[in-house]
Amino acid sequence: MSNPLKDMEKPDVIFCIGTNMTECHPVAATRLKKAVANGATLIVADPRRIRLAEMAHLYLPLRVGSDTALLLAMAHVIARDGLIDQEFVAARTEGIDRLLEHIRDFTPEWAETITGVPAADIETAARLYGRADRGAIYYTLGVTEHICGVDNVQSLCNLVLMTGNIGREGTGINPMRGQNNVQGAGDSGAIPNNYVGFQSVSDPANQAKFTALYGREMSLEKGPTKVTALDRCGEQIRAMLIDGENTLVSDPDRIHGEHALRSLDHLVVMDIFLSETAELAHVVLPAAGWAEVDGHYTNTERRIQRVRKAVEPPGEAMPDWWIITQLAQKMGIPGFDYESPKAVFNELCSASPIYAGIDWDLAESGQYQWPIPYKGHPGTPRLHEDGFINGRGKFMLIGYRDPAEVVSADFPVWLTTGRRLESYHTNTQTGRAEGIDYLLPRETLEVHPADVDAWGLANGGLARLSSRRGSVEVVVEATERSPRGTVFCSFAFNDVPVNILTGSGYDPITQTAELKVCPVRVEALIEEEIGLVA
Amino acid sequence: MQNPIPLMEAGITKTRSVCGYCGVGCAVDVMTRDNRIVGIQPAMDGPANEGALCVKGQFAYDFVHHPDRLTRPLVRRDDGKLHPTTWDEALQIAADGFLRAAAEHGEASVYGIASGRTPSEADYLMQKWVRAGFGTHNIDNCSRA
Repeated sequence: MSNPLKDMEKPDVIFCIGTNMTECHPVAATRLKKAVANGATLIVADPRRIRLAEMAHLYLPLRVGSDTALLLAMAHVIARDGLIDQEFVAARTEGIDRLLEHIRDFTPEWAETITGVPAADIETAARLYGRADRGAIYYTLGVTEHICGVDNVQSLCNLVLMTGNIGREGTGINPMRGQNNVQGAGDSGAIPNNYVGFQSVSDPANQAKFTALYGREMSLEKGPTKVTALDRCGEQIRAMLIDGENTLVSDPDRIHGEHALRSLDHLVVMDIFLSETAELAHVVLPAAGWAEVDGHYTNTERRIQRVRKAVEPPGEAMPDWWIITQLAQKMGIPGFDYESPKAVFNELCSASPIYAGIDWDLAESGQYQWPIPYKGHPGTPRLHEDGFINGRGKFMLIGYRDPAEVVSADFPVWLTTGRRLESYHTNTQTGRAEGIDYLLPRETLEVHPADVDAWGLANGGLARLSSRRGSVEVVVEATERSPRGTVFCSFAFNDVPVNILTGSGYDPITQTAELKVCPVRVEALIEEEIGLVA
Repeated sequence: MQNPIPLMEAGITKTRSVCGYCGVGCAVDVMTRDNRIVGIQPAMDGPANEGALCVKGQFAYDFVHHPDRLTRPLVRRDDGKLHPTTWDEALQIAADGFLRAAAEHGEASVYGIASGRTPSEADYLMQKWVRAGFGTHNIDNCSRA
């Protein structure tokens, strides 16, 4: 997030797109509710009539995968109606003229034909955001899990730069990170293109720095992403170490993923449970989990916070840092003689320009948000206050593209996937909590009541959901949360492995899967058929 | 009249930590007794949550002490099944497999997937294991799915 969480109470106009915040980031959503109670205007763009949409002053029910068209038309209206912050644009951006030329034809009427959102509502949204003193954008995976995820984010950046809604309290462009430490994983260098602290692996200066630090020659060539690596399993990729990820259930195109992991010569999994992924491993190493280890998480607002051991791990389970240290030592890799997570964290900080101002003891307070470039620096709750790191903000020329797969005669329904309030991801943890089991005992397919009738389904009855990659069976729930022609299912329950269906395409830059769009066919399962299946 | 709260909390230790679910980073006090978690309290002074907590953070901690937890290293034997073993043997088999892959198919044949759930210390060591061990950047985490 460009801005701190506490800023969520400060905007006068809030634009939420592709974020089911009340279910996926409930505590952050309470701040938005406060802002709305205090008079802020809430605009929500989402294919589903989620709780946030119910709260909105203006709800834009766009077709799944059509975000770019909506955002292009909003940029068009902001320009057409003279809502550009000329002072900000002149001082801090470049490329406005090319952008204005580019967006001239992307009218709200054009966007209506793609998104299904009335042109008048697109105009209202653009005017509300464009006239805001403090306009803030919040988004989540509904924006990024598309073949055009990067296009969507850059389209949002264009709106931010046109209106100067950045670098001030209550503004900004704010992705909500989904996992407790997914920000920290990227910060720590667990990505194929950057060392710790987002230092590019392609930069010879960084190569020299880490060659010295790690005691061996580092490649200048960035590594393949996980998606590519899974594609290459059994060919270029022969051995894999997976820490705490249920790859098989969380990732798209499950049948392909299972085949990939099975084709490895050697798979080692560290986890707290024998997950579906761990069941395929040659070696399973029992890890200490949450409340059993000391260390740090970095949250969605870039805040580095200490986590502490409160109980002993069960049996012989050990902390992940210890396991990796021991594995490295067995392999004769130098530089792994750490005696505590404190020693690991201090090395991480000293090698990272954005953590350089802290160490284990300073991080104790939880007050620091990166970048903290030097000791004595107070941290950076709000990014881009005085300027952009790379100079001027660049307007990007984005075009609309259809999703990788679109609805057809064989697969006439849009499926979109996501999470639910009571369950978390693949349910390895929340599926083992009695109270949660009571609240959310099973997965359902959310279908508009009129579609339930039109497709011959029954509320509470079983349906077969099929895509080009496979099919799953799921209980139907009639609900107006789903628009006509679009159905929703979460990926939390292993008995409804919805990721058998997904995986139609990937963003060409990030290789993030288009988990939010998958054309499917929905068929009622009659009782005799259920009997045969059972 | 005696305040009932100290009685309720008799023998309970509070440990300040951070919720392990989503990315908001709510500060919590983990309440423990006899090496078991008996409750979670939102931290009123947590910078991200200021006393708020959701249904997952508040109640979904049974998994920590669940009987399904892995308690011993497992290795796949000739019968095709996973069997409990010692840390020493499991780590040796794990190490040998990676060294064999690197020797037979090149260092770029080894890949690491770090976690968005573990502390940063584990993520840092995962990437260092790949980079210092093999000289490649064959490392990613779960942020793409």
